[in-house]
Amino acid sequence: MNPDFIAGAREGLKSYLPVSFGIVPWAIATAIAMRSAGFSFTDSAIMSVLVYGATAQIGTLPLIVAQASLVSVFATALVLNLRFFIFGATLSPVFKGQSRWQRLLAGHLMSDGVVASLTGRLLAQAQPARRMGLYLGPSSWNWLLWQASTVAGLLFYESIPRSASLNYLSTIALLVLIASLSRQLQMVAVVVCSALLAIWLRHLPYRLGLFAAIVAGIACGYLLDRLPRRRRG
Amino acid sequence: MQPYLYFIAVGIATTLPRSFFLLLGERIRLPQQLMEALRYAPAAALSALTMPDIFLEQDVIDIANPKVWASAVVLLTTLRCRNAWLPFISGMLALYIASNWPGLPF
Repeated sequence: MNPDFIAGAREGLKSYLPVSFGIVPWAIATAIAMRSAGFSFTDSAIMSVLVYGATAQIGTLPLIVAQASLVSVFATALVLNLRFFIFGATLSPVFKGQSRWQRLLAGHLMSDGVVASLTGRLLAQAQPARRMGLYLGPSSWNWLLWQASTVAGLLFYESIPRSASLNYLSTIALLVLIASLSRQLQMVAVVVCSALLAIWLRHLPYRLGLFAAIVAGIACGYLLDRLPRRRRG
Repeated sequence: MQPYLYFIAVGIATTLPRSFFLLLGERIRLPQQLMEALRYAPAAALSALTMPDIFLEQDVIDIANPKVWASAVVLLTTLRCRNAWLPFISGMLALYIASNWPGLPF
């Protein structure tokens, strides 16, 4: 393998390794959520490999269990993953000159953790092979750690008492995400707006209430951004 | 329906946004305003998915059920501490206490 690639991978791993372990409790919660939703060990493992995305996995489980339409499951997962369009738009110069398959692989392996901790260095690295190592090294590690922790969680599920309150683990996982996003006032407003509408419109057919709540939340945030700011100069 | 169809759909809906701009390169740029609005999509979707589960008990709104108390604990723990395990532990503990403590008002 190209020595520059390896040097890049080593550099990326060194800085990402300590941060990466934050995904372990997530993977375990996701694993327990899948098992609690009624999927077998094998089905859960297959989902984990096919999707490789905690939010999309946990978020769509209730819809899948309720046998919602394929379209609403797809649309919900897509909305939950919209942030990756933005990450991808930011990172696209990093993959200049790489083959289509490498870009697809890079996209499939994209994770919040690697994007958050290495974007600056990725954009600054001028040497292509080293840049690819810097991205693919930590990203592959993230994948391995995620799948291994998921399997650990799936095994762990066998040894804990079955309880209805286990379902609450997935709610916690989503709440943690909401809390970490909600450090700005606009985000809090978006969360409240979507929550109220989702509860109010919960009886609409085809999960339309869910989508109306999401659209209203986005509109709310967008409009708040457009408000004249009094205190910021 | 086969779960695998769902899994494949969710898989495509995850890899597509991740790969979209990597595959297109610099050929397409999203308008800045759209990018800004998209920032709010995850929070809106997460909230719309989670909050009905928390605030409804058998389809009736109950703003003081054990899940609400436990959720408050989860939010506080996440905002106060950086530890990744703590929200899961404190949340499950709070849910257990709120549902099983006979003297508490919920």
